[in-house]
Amino acid sequence: MAMGMVRREEKLRCTKEPFIEDVGPRRIKSLRFSMFSGDEIRKLAEVQVWNNKLYNESAKPVDHGILDARMGPANKSGVCATCHGNFTECPGHFGFLKLMLPVFNVGYFNLILNVLKCICKRCGRVLLSETERKQFLKKMRNPKAEVLQKNLYMKNIRDRCKGPRCNNCGYVNGVVKKARGPLAIVQDFGKMLDKSSDECRAALSHLRGNQSSQVLHVLTPLTVLSLFKKMLDEDCELLNLYDRPEKLIVTDIAIPPLAIRPSAFVDFGRSSNEDSLTSILRLIINTNSFLREELEGSGYLFKCWEIWAHLQTQVVEYINSEAPSLTESKHRGLIQRLKGKQGRFRGNLSGKRVEYTARTVISPDPNLKITEVAIPILVAKVLTFPERVSCHNIEKLRQCVRNGPFRYPGANFVVLLDGTRLHLKYGEKKNVAAELKYGYIVERHLEDGDVVLFNRQPSLHRMSIMAHRARIMPWRTLRFNESVCNPYNADFDGDEMNLHVPQTEEARTEALMLMGVQNNLCTPKNGEILVASTQDFLTSSYLITRKDTFYDRATFCLLCSYMGDGMESIDIPTPALIKPVELWTGKQLFSVLVRPNANTRVYLNFTVKEKIFSKPDRACLTMCPRDGYVYFRNSELICGQLGKATLGNGNKDGLFSVLLRDYNSHAAASCMNRLAKLSARWIGNHGFSIGIDDVQPGETLNQQKKKEINDGYRECHEFISLYGEGKLTLQPGCNAAQTLEVKITGVLNQIRAKAGDVCMRELHWRNSPLIMSQCGSKGSPINISQMIACVGQQSVGGRRAPNGFIDRTLPHFPINSKTPAAKGFVANSFYTGLTATEFFFHTMGGREGLVDTAVKTAETGYMSRRLMKGLEDLSVHYDQTVRNASGGIVQFVYGDDGMDPAKMEGKDGIPLNLDQLFMKIMATCPARDEDALSPSEISEIVDNRFSKYDVSPEGGCSSAFKKSLSDFLNNHVAAFKKTRSALQLDENYVGSRNSNKIENVAANISGITSKQLMVFLETCIYRYHLKKVEAGAAIGAIGAQSIGEPGTQMTLKTFHFAGVASMNVTLGVPRIKEIINASKNISTPIITAILNSDTLFSARMVKGCIERTVLGEVAESIKLVLKRQASIVIKLDVKKSEDLRLGISAEIVQSAILNHPKLKLKPDEVRVLSSRKLRIIPNVGNRSKLRFGLHTLKSMLPKLVVKGIPTVERAVINNDKGRHHLLVEGVKCLESQDLAFQR
Amino acid sequence: MADDDYNDMDMGYEDEPPEPEIEEGAEEDVENNNEDVPDAFVGAEGEEKEEQEPVQRPRKTSKYMTKYERARILGTRALQISMNAPVMVELEGETDPLEIAMKELRQRKIPFTIRRYLPDGSYEDWGVDELIVEDSWKRQVGGD
Repeated sequence: MAMGMVRREEKLRCTKEPFIEDVGPRRIKSLRFSMFSGDEIRKLAEVQVWNNKLYNESAKPVDHGILDARMGPANKSGVCATCHGNFTECPGHFGFLKLMLPVFNVGYFNLILNVLKCICKRCGRVLLSETERKQFLKKMRNPKAEVLQKNLYMKNIRDRCKGPRCNNCGYVNGVVKKARGPLAIVQDFGKMLDKSSDECRAALSHLRGNQSSQVLHVLTPLTVLSLFKKMLDEDCELLNLYDRPEKLIVTDIAIPPLAIRPSAFVDFGRSSNEDSLTSILRLIINTNSFLREELEGSGYLFKCWEIWAHLQTQVVEYINSEAPSLTESKHRGLIQRLKGKQGRFRGNLSGKRVEYTARTVISPDPNLKITEVAIPILVAKVLTFPERVSCHNIEKLRQCVRNGPFRYPGANFVVLLDGTRLHLKYGEKKNVAAELKYGYIVERHLEDGDVVLFNRQPSLHRMSIMAHRARIMPWRTLRFNESVCNPYNADFDGDEMNLHVPQTEEARTEALMLMGVQNNLCTPKNGEILVASTQDFLTSSYLITRKDTFYDRATFCLLCSYMGDGMESIDIPTPALIKPVELWTGKQLFSVLVRPNANTRVYLNFTVKEKIFSKPDRACLTMCPRDGYVYFRNSELICGQLGKATLGNGNKDGLFSVLLRDYNSHAAASCMNRLAKLSARWIGNHGFSIGIDDVQPGETLNQQKKKEINDGYRECHEFISLYGEGKLTLQPGCNAAQTLEVKITGVLNQIRAKAGDVCMRELHWRNSPLIMSQCGSKGSPINISQMIACVGQQSVGGRRAPNGFIDRTLPHFPINSKTPAAKGFVANSFYTGLTATEFFFHTMGGREGLVDTAVKTAETGYMSRRLMKGLEDLSVHYDQTVRNASGGIVQFVYGDDGMDPAKMEGKDGIPLNLDQLFMKIMATCPARDEDALSPSEISEIVDNRFSKYDVSPEGGCSSAFKKSLSDFLNNHVAAFKKTRSALQLDENYVGSRNSNKIENVAANISGITSKQLMVFLETCIYRYHLKKVEAGAAIGAIGAQSIGEPGTQMTLKTFHFAGVASMNVTLGVPRIKEIINASKNISTPIITAILNSDTLFSARMVKGCIERTVLGEVAESIKLVLKRQASIVIKLDVKKSEDLRLGISAEIVQSAILNHPKLKLKPDEVRVLSSRKLRIIPNVGNRSKLRFGLHTLKSMLPKLVVKGIPTVERAVINNDKGRHHLLVEGVKCLESQDLAFQR
Repeated sequence: MADDDYNDMDMGYEDEPPEPEIEEGAEEDVENNNEDVPDAFVGAEGEEKEEQEPVQRPRKTSKYMTKYERARILGTRALQISMNAPVMVELEGETDPLEIAMKELRQRKIPFTIRRYLPDGSYEDWGVDELIVEDSWKRQVGGD
């Protein structure tokens, strides 16, 4: 104890600091990784370790033991015996363990094997001739050769080193192989033996039983080490080794510092808990000392071998405890420490656990803004923000300090100028508050308006973590506006979410600017709006905007006040009805919602077709009988019942999208806030619920459903009886059973659809499920009809229920029954209740869904990770190029147009929605008394504007945009001309508006004034320039997320197949996986072959040429004839071959048989008897083998490909409006010679 | 409320919309209206015209400030202000350093120069007052 105290004080101090030249910062040119040799390990180490004991009697580490204090302090109280530093100062020191005999390093085992394959096992030279060696050396030394190229050379060298005789010393080498069992290498002389050894063995056979042991020679690590030591440096270079190969063999083990394998006392110091590494090393020391004893003593040789092999396995376990040569291991090796998700790299270096974090259950609160998150006071008292005291906030912070850590809003710590931290739990808070100076840092509680990051796993895209403003609230959940559920993919069934507090002013600013909810309303995938109203908000909007809703003054004002918190000024519009009482419509409420007062200068103009929209006959769109055409003009809702298309997420021309594009994100966000408040409060009073009477079918519905089901069942039974008689007309590319399935499935789906249609028609318009499905808030017509009418066919794996019993699905049905009920058709509805068998089929479908989601999440997660890792470093630079981290150019301009997909307004990634924009300009910029422009004037203005710099390609305007703009205006001019000619006016000359009434009409219908045109052009061009992708955007990550995130949404395998004429194409996740894996053999290779002449006849001809035809299909019979001379007689089905336009003759079959590589028949053995008959008389010498030969031949013949491309599975003729083309399922069509391909 | 009352107000509401100000963000509150926002834009337009003469400056990068530059500038400026740096604009009761920084940027008073590095290692210097800033800064994320 005393010794320790003294040593701590006499730290190594030089009287003079050693001079180190300051050379300034240096650039690392290259890094090279290599192994330590035994000598280097010993030099590096502070202590030799040989003692297998851990602690002595006084619980001190044993000298030269595995916990020797010279390897660094083991815990906070310890002191390093080497550098006298404590736990935080000492970096740790290595020890070393000298192995008595060398062993292989598992990590380099394959490399060792490869090197051994290339060198002589006596002299250690490369097994190449001198000239070849020089050649390869020259190639290897080429400075331009890349790593992959060098690996390829190495492979070539290895192939060239197969010759056994060494050119240098003449030694005959055996084949080097990995031995079975534990890590060992053998040299196999088996192939070197010639006849003489056979003779020798035969001569000696009476002497010895065991001969094979002669052929294999074990190459021990010791011999390999000496061989490697003998290798010339030049040869090492040739074999692509950067360092001496003897380093690949372990002679000494570096014992890692104690800091990475801490030893902890348990059980009041009576025993210790050791790290996995320590325990393996201890075993190695044990074995090593046994080996020494055996070697030094007069141990038996075989015992030494045994211990050596044991040592080898233990060293393998130390490095890689999951190596295949180990049976099982309860330890964690070095590789396991580093590798994988929990490993050092992914678990501790790339991702860490962090402070200033909260996690709880989430719940909704429509009264919050979409940008806010409610944080419980309990949480806010723990999470702090370090705010520096300045003239702006000193009084506020004083109050916080006075409140202390337990009273909100308080503070937990004060950091003084010299860095001392004062905990406010202890000490006099008042004094600290009084002494607060500029520059102090107060770690105050979270307060309203602080920026926090809010996140829900799985974080699949960048909107999964966004910056919100904090609102400190009572209770215990994190709360936010339901409109923000979508980006997080959150619901409130018990979901938990995480919250992080940025700790510096810079971090919070950047979080707010880049990750703020307001700045992420759109998905960067395609610019669709993601933060938008959901569920109840849609329902109530739909109900409010019904044509028959009217409110009197009191109610209307009440509803208007619902929108805000009573602080906003609201201008009430003119009532829609004035007499007998003033009444306002629900639609007017939305006009107020969009533009609450005259000072809000928001003029919204757009049209949307809702889900319920049906095109009215011979009337304009706005007269939709179901009021499904939404028209906003200058922020007034003219017509339309609002639903998901207008207010919901995932579209580009809804209300919020237009607000966001035409105005700004704040306009859209505040509108969403108002809508959330209004609808939540409105629906709370109005009430909306589902009862059993909502799903009660009416009498007509029951009758019609019964009729539909009976009809469908009858149809199915007809198909089944046809199938039983074998009279079913086959569908292209299907056999009878498949055809039956397709037909029955079609009929059954029809039943469900028809029953659903009837049900939707019969339902009362106030039915709650119907309302929800119509406005798009929840549920689909299928869901409703399942509840009311008929649940429908249950499918497993995209088919009807499979046979779980012998030839039937359940023992309740007759064997081989194919009736709808026996294969999982549920005729009942959820209301009437399912029968036992129906219920069972339903669970089968349900189970599949559950299993599928579980499997898919893991699969898509890995896929996202790989996509991300592949693309993470791509970003846009200031010169608009897309480059990776090393500066390599991936694209000269992002996406070839430099546009930011998040800002695209039109469908299919078009920058602007010109129709909507034009409508807006015409509405907000009325013509008043100005005259319309004539077509020539329009083109003049347009040309004039287009000649300016900012519309030129150098000015950053793509020709595509210019073209779309001029096309749009040309269309407009054409429409204008048409109007004028219809009104019998001069098409080209436009008169004054006031001169003529008809002129006025024409101008009002489709005229455009010069001011309108200028404003339109300016707006388009100005907006276009703002839509460029910004330099610095991490577009690689965005791209990866845009593919990965939708992947996770794709569940159920059934969605991954799309049928084209009974030909399935792999889609969705499996297809993306194929693409990412770059699979050579994709599961459904399909070629669309467009024919030069597209008649049905020629299509059949080509099909006959392409499609694989096997002999079994065209042969009438293949018989074994045992009369006279045993032979096989093949009779061809000429009629069938003609029907299918195959044109197969006996000669073709003969040549096919002769060309088959495995049959090995000679021309005289296959005889053509007639145009439809062949005889095969195999020429087999041994009569005893003839019978079997014939039988195998007979079994092989039906599978013989006589015509077509062997790799083509089938070809289907597809009729596309009278033009026939082929869909070919298969690969390698180009290899077929008898087809001429164009283009 | 009598009929006349809201008829008066209607005049303001039902009026034809004023001439469109495309570049200007709407959705301003009454108190925001007296801010000098349009001025900033006039400045911006002026700059635009200057930039259009291609010979004047050989700078190639976009004249628009990217959101990343904006975030960086505001962040750094907010940090400076939080550490008691002198504020370049008249304050109207703002205390949050970020809000002050935003106000400075709006009035183009942030004394910074952006050095834009091109991938070949060369760089262009742009003063913050030279760049056109997109107008979506108004009260970010509802922090009013």
